[in-house]
Amino acid sequence: MVQLESIILYCLMQLNNERTIYSIYHLLKGKKSSQTIQDAHLFNLKKYFGIYDFLSRENFDQIIQMLQDQKLIQSCGLQQFRSTSEGELFLIKNPIPIDLNGWEFHQVTARFWARLSLLIQVASNLEYKETNYIPIQKDKDIHLWLKTVLKEMNVSKKDMGGKLYDELIACFAENSELDPSVLVYRLTGFNQIGLTSLQAAQKLKMDIFDYHLHFINILHFMIRKLGQEPELFPLLAHLHRALMQQNDLTQSSQKTWQLLTLGHSLETIAQIRQLKLSTIEDHLVEITLNFKDFSINEYVEPILQKEILHVSKLIASKQLKLIKDQVKQASYFQIRLVLAKYGG
Amino acid sequence: MELEDLLNKYFGYTAFKTGQKEVISALLNGENTLAMLPTGTGKSLCYQLPGYIFKGHILIISPLLSLMQDQVDQMKRFGEKRVVALNSFLTHIEKEQVLNVLNQYKFIFISPEMLQVPYIIKKLQSLSISLFVIDEAHCISQWGYDFRPDYSKLGEIRKSLCNPLTLALTATATVNVRQDIIQSLGLSKVTKVESTIDRPNIGFYVEEIADYRDKERRVLELVDRLPKPGIVYFSSKKAAEQMAELLSYQQNYRSSVYHGGLEQDSRILIQQQFIHNQLDVICATSAFGMGVNKENIRFVIHFHMPMQIESYLQEIGRAGRDGNPSIAILLYSPGDELLPIQLAEAELPSDQQLDWLFNRTDFAIRTNNRGFKLTNTLKELGGFSDVQWRIVEDLLNRPIQDTSSLQQIKEMLQDFTKKRLKAKKNNIFRMKQWIDTKFCRRQFILEYFNDRLITEVNPCCDRCGLDIRNYHSAEDRPQVELLEVTWMDYLRKLLTNSELSK
Repeated sequence: MVQLESIILYCLMQLNNERTIYSIYHLLKGKKSSQTIQDAHLFNLKKYFGIYDFLSRENFDQIIQMLQDQKLIQSCGLQQFRSTSEGELFLIKNPIPIDLNGWEFHQVTARFWARLSLLIQVASNLEYKETNYIPIQKDKDIHLWLKTVLKEMNVSKKDMGGKLYDELIACFAENSELDPSVLVYRLTGFNQIGLTSLQAAQKLKMDIFDYHLHFINILHFMIRKLGQEPELFPLLAHLHRALMQQNDLTQSSQKTWQLLTLGHSLETIAQIRQLKLSTIEDHLVEITLNFKDFSINEYVEPILQKEILHVSKLIASKQLKLIKDQVKQASYFQIRLVLAKYGG
Repeated sequence: MELEDLLNKYFGYTAFKTGQKEVISALLNGENTLAMLPTGTGKSLCYQLPGYIFKGHILIISPLLSLMQDQVDQMKRFGEKRVVALNSFLTHIEKEQVLNVLNQYKFIFISPEMLQVPYIIKKLQSLSISLFVIDEAHCISQWGYDFRPDYSKLGEIRKSLCNPLTLALTATATVNVRQDIIQSLGLSKVTKVESTIDRPNIGFYVEEIADYRDKERRVLELVDRLPKPGIVYFSSKKAAEQMAELLSYQQNYRSSVYHGGLEQDSRILIQQQFIHNQLDVICATSAFGMGVNKENIRFVIHFHMPMQIESYLQEIGRAGRDGNPSIAILLYSPGDELLPIQLAEAELPSDQQLDWLFNRTDFAIRTNNRGFKLTNTLKELGGFSDVQWRIVEDLLNRPIQDTSSLQQIKEMLQDFTKKRLKAKKNNIFRMKQWIDTKFCRRQFILEYFNDRLITEVNPCCDRCGLDIRNYHSAEDRPQVELLEVTWMDYLRKLLTNSELSK
């Protein structure tokens, strides 16, 4: 699990002893809490948000123990660790795949893979003129998506397989760092059933955690590429269509946002929704993180904003408590808002 | 039109399999029918074909969501589009949509818990139902091995739908269970179609092995010698995983594990790999097999003892559907019967758990007869497993008389679990008897189901002198050439058909 270890080491360095080790766990799991979302922005760790949704607490603890045993990290307080010089060396020797983009894509990665795998299966069976087969994806939304897309694709059934092949090869060729076998052996088609993630990892002699990372990496690369240059990949570009439509707010924050746009105050929203004011404040922090042009002036005087920022830089810390000690008139909520707005 | 013509027209077959024609003829005569047909003989045809003759809808109650989905997919692939599955897989919106146009579907599959919803019953009452089908009907009986409390209400539901013509289907049911089915459904005149459950091309072989390690060694040996593909069944996920790893790493077999703990994606892939001959051996728990239509399975090995003869028969019945000789092997070590007993106990809520639950103040709030608060917190605090909790929920959601006291209700629950445990232990005991028997194993099973041997079977079982060596593969193991296909070749083969002369 070299790659996962590298990521944890990198996160530790970025966090700079200001958070416990479990903030990394929550980050990798993509926990939808204001704290984790804010951390991802503040410490520049958005790339790794939610890339290990299946990681268990036990797995994580084991890996931390292994890092300790290898002397790559050392304890520096309760549930706190810092990277050792060996750890830094390890990170240089084992760089992290560069196409990961958890924050932007973690919610759509699974959907993208479902679309891709079904598209290939259907194209392959069309190519071999087979109509009787079991779809590898059960999700009805994905089936519906494919139906629409097949109609819109400007290609004859006869040519589809070959063209998809050419586009995939061209897409992979854009990035020589990638190993497409990570993805390709997972694909199912005519008389050929793809491997499960575990089987693929075994075939490629990787452990499952590293395998998963490379798999996500290649998907994220494709999502970005197809989004940026759809004209180069006329068929594959359909995979990207309407993939990203939802914004990244949690459902509850979504509701708060709707009420906010209707002009309600935070207190009223709390009353309407029968939630604690602090919860609504959490939502506001999330909204601030997600909408770059969202103004927080209504909640924090511009002068106070400046002061908070100034202190944060001065003491080189993003720990709320330390800032609060210096800017007594600011509430924790206000400090969080300012850090959310300018910190990330 | 003759039935055979319809069979050919709609399904492309020229002849019926055992029992099918009898069932269909009975239904066309308007007779309620209980059909006990062996696994893999196309039970679903028994209601599909009448569906093309009857004017009204065919309602099929099926207990397993995954199986239901398979059946629906399969019918769709054969061109029947007027088919739908109503179950908890559907989102709220999808459910609404389906219910709004329910009368456009000829074949309606439904899970028993959906039938608990009054709104859905109302919808069904507005349809004209030509045939009411209960799949896996043995789930009705408390004495069946797979009792589902939801199923015991099917009699009432049938009544509320004005007693439509009914077909109860099962692969394995003892005489008692069959009687229970008829009674519980309130069927007055019933035609019984019971084809023999015997599968003459499957030989039985029980082997006593000293301990767990030796069993592992023996499985490796057997897999080496027997023709493949095959299935090895385990009662524990962990043991199945270990064996699959041994087989793939030590022996270089194409082997995978399959159990309910895997993600759905992986389960689908592994099942399909097996069907497409990309795997030699599946190491599985009982979660594997439903809906797997594979003809050429040559062996089924049981590493652990099953919980009852019924499920044993169902599991080995997956071998040899092509009619060629196949072997069912059970490995037994002294004390093996303790594991199924433990499993049986773990499936039921214990007396202590129920005492605890009924003493909780946040549980015993009863405003009317449905006043029990069954929260997840209670489930977790009380250490109830999913299976245990389902039983508690099902029993408490039955209409309870207002007059019964908390104590009485608790006793009702405890009484129920006691009886269930007794039935389960009895099943395990019968299974053990089968292992221990000195006489013909085939005879034993047939007698268990009140069936009779029609023609003599040879080779039959180890007690009748079956020699396992006769099942060994004639040729040596073919050198598995690990032809490494590059990813590019793999992809090219998927997407371009080179044999196609364009």
